[in-house]
Amino acid sequence: MSLVLTVDGARWRAHLLSTVTRHPGIVPVAKGNGYGLSLGRLARRAQWLAEHAEETGAPLDVVAVGTYDEVEEAASRYAGDLLVLTPWRPFGAALDLQDRTASRVVHTVSRPADLAALRERDPEARFVLEQLTSMRRHGMTRRDLEAAAETLATAQGGGARHRLRGVAMHLPLNTTSHLGEVTRLINDVVASGLPTRTVFVSHLTSDELDRLATTYPDFTVRPRVGTGLWLGDRGALSVTSTVLDVHEVERGDVFGYRGRSVPKHGHIVVVSGGTAHGIGLEAPTGDQSLRARAATLARGGMDAVGFVRSPFSIDGKQRLFAEPPHMQASMLFVPSGARVPDIGERVDVRVRFTATDFDRVVIS
Amino acid sequence: MTTSLTLRPVSAQEHRDFIARRSSASFLQTPGWARVKAEWRAESIGWFRDGALVGAGLVLYRQLPKVRRYLAYLPEGPVIDWAGDDLEAWLAPMVAHLKAQGAFAVRMGPPVVTRRWSAEQVKAGIADESVRRLGDVPPLERSQDGARVIAQLHELGWQQQSAEGGFSAGQPQFNFQIPLVDADGLPRTEADVLAGMNQLWRRNIKKADKSGVEVALGERADLKAFHDLYVHTAERDHFTPRPLSYFETMYDALLAEDPDRIQVWLARHEGDLVAATIAIRVGTHAWYSYGASSTEKREVRGSNAVQWAMIRHALAAGAHVYDLRGITETLDAHDPHVGLIQFKVGTGGEAVEHAGEWDLPVNRAIYKAFQVYLARRG
Repeated sequence: MSLVLTVDGARWRAHLLSTVTRHPGIVPVAKGNGYGLSLGRLARRAQWLAEHAEETGAPLDVVAVGTYDEVEEAASRYAGDLLVLTPWRPFGAALDLQDRTASRVVHTVSRPADLAALRERDPEARFVLEQLTSMRRHGMTRRDLEAAAETLATAQGGGARHRLRGVAMHLPLNTTSHLGEVTRLINDVVASGLPTRTVFVSHLTSDELDRLATTYPDFTVRPRVGTGLWLGDRGALSVTSTVLDVHEVERGDVFGYRGRSVPKHGHIVVVSGGTAHGIGLEAPTGDQSLRARAATLARGGMDAVGFVRSPFSIDGKQRLFAEPPHMQASMLFVPSGARVPDIGERVDVRVRFTATDFDRVVIS
Repeated sequence: MTTSLTLRPVSAQEHRDFIARRSSASFLQTPGWARVKAEWRAESIGWFRDGALVGAGLVLYRQLPKVRRYLAYLPEGPVIDWAGDDLEAWLAPMVAHLKAQGAFAVRMGPPVVTRRWSAEQVKAGIADESVRRLGDVPPLERSQDGARVIAQLHELGWQQQSAEGGFSAGQPQFNFQIPLVDADGLPRTEADVLAGMNQLWRRNIKKADKSGVEVALGERADLKAFHDLYVHTAERDHFTPRPLSYFETMYDALLAEDPDRIQVWLARHEGDLVAATIAIRVGTHAWYSYGASSTEKREVRGSNAVQWAMIRHALAAGAHVYDLRGITETLDAHDPHVGLIQFKVGTGGEAVEHAGEWDLPVNRAIYKAFQVYLARRG
């Protein structure tokens, strides 16, 4: 009766091990809904990967979480350090860390003023400094980094430089190559005089990572990987919903919450999975091609006059929503001529993992 | 807040005096060099702060075919304070001036070091099959000042000219240098410099001495003998020699600035010239500039002997650096350039990367056309 994510466990674990082997120094990212797998499960799996370090040759000493609110959930399941990707600010959840986990946290600092404030609150705090990239979300400019370097050089008690774990850059997606930008950003690190040669990066291809490693043999490049790690082998993952009910309908029959009428003969098929799971609540894909924009317009048009394509497919064919999804179930329209699924049958669902909450995750 | 910088053309004399007051500058930035490059219009420019000359540059204007527009080129220059974080204050008045002079683009070679490698590291890199380029070897040092210059040039819209593979058309980005002072800035002894060389170099220097090779400082009249041997070397090593007049002009122009700025060195064995070189020094920086060697009598090691004589001369003159100039970035043992690196690396010392050459397009359309023209010319 549920929206279920089924994972081919052997295949998935093999992919995890090979990904970690390919990327020594990897920082697994476990954030948000845990890429559909749940944050807790990913944290446990990261611990498992850390325990297989001998096999992979890739010691795993830190896992990245998205926010301070996610720290506890990961901390109870993973024993190493926790890098928080959201920059530290002198307000909010960052200040509510529990003492026993605080010492395991590596903060991300994106403003010179925050560095001083963090160090004042917790002189032992460990941190990475985030650099401003072409994304322009959070981060320090070259001059900010230089100011941070001076703060650290003059810090009382020494040791401040050892609490600096590296520099982090969040790169945009969909650019032709990141190498030019990364080269400039690393040059800025050298120019700042910061006493670190460790760089945390995301969204680089294996080829780009290899080239960085040869160009900067004196640097340690640590790739932050989420999607490529947890969802990198899509063939190991399948999402299914259950057919809950089927009703034959004639043209003109009225159905649903909104009293719509059926345009032609066929079947209304009720399946599990609705807005509570994230079904029908599509996040914008960010695809800006003309084709994609035309498709968006067309979908809107269909919505106005009739049915909208759903992510549910029966016998490999994507079916239309008979009306907008309900909270936990959806109504599909199957026109006459097509095979009508049986009640209890499972149908495939195409979802965005980062925006879907499954009722169950079954790992074989 | 310091007062702002202004820029105006200066006389060759002012330019020369400014360089004389500095520890060193590239010889390509001396006013004398303008006379060597007589086919280009040259101009000395000076930066002033509160009326005092605080920077200087030699600009060579290279005309674009058929158009009265110029590439304004400052080889290994200008001579300014590159260490600060306000390059814009220095470069903006320069670019404005050069633009007014008809420049469609400015090219310069900031004389700042970005990375260094020891001779041992270079040697190990050549021996390591997996290492192909100098950059694949972790450097001894990445210079913060050098990186800051590069960051600022990017921010100010300058474009780095790449020198992939062999030598680019401009000045080499990678050079090999022997420091003649120690970490504390104190002069090294001859024995110390000699001890820094590899065994082969030391043996060859000794061998040349035993075989009776005599190295002597020549004078202008000896340029002819140098040149004959240089033409012979060019034939053997397949490069195009420059005419004798080029070296005579260079000798006269550089000597006019300083009696010890340029020297011709000759190594003879039983009366036969076996090696000859040209050395240049500006202040504390000494360069090995041109070299030639005979094909006969290689066993007497005239080349090693003449290098050692130049190094000793540089030491005696109080130089801080003996510069063997360009090496290619390749450390591939199969690359034909690698022999030159190995010869230079044997002297000890370090490989040094400079910031390279940078262009600022002033007129984008003409600059684009210029790049197309260069690409076609190959």
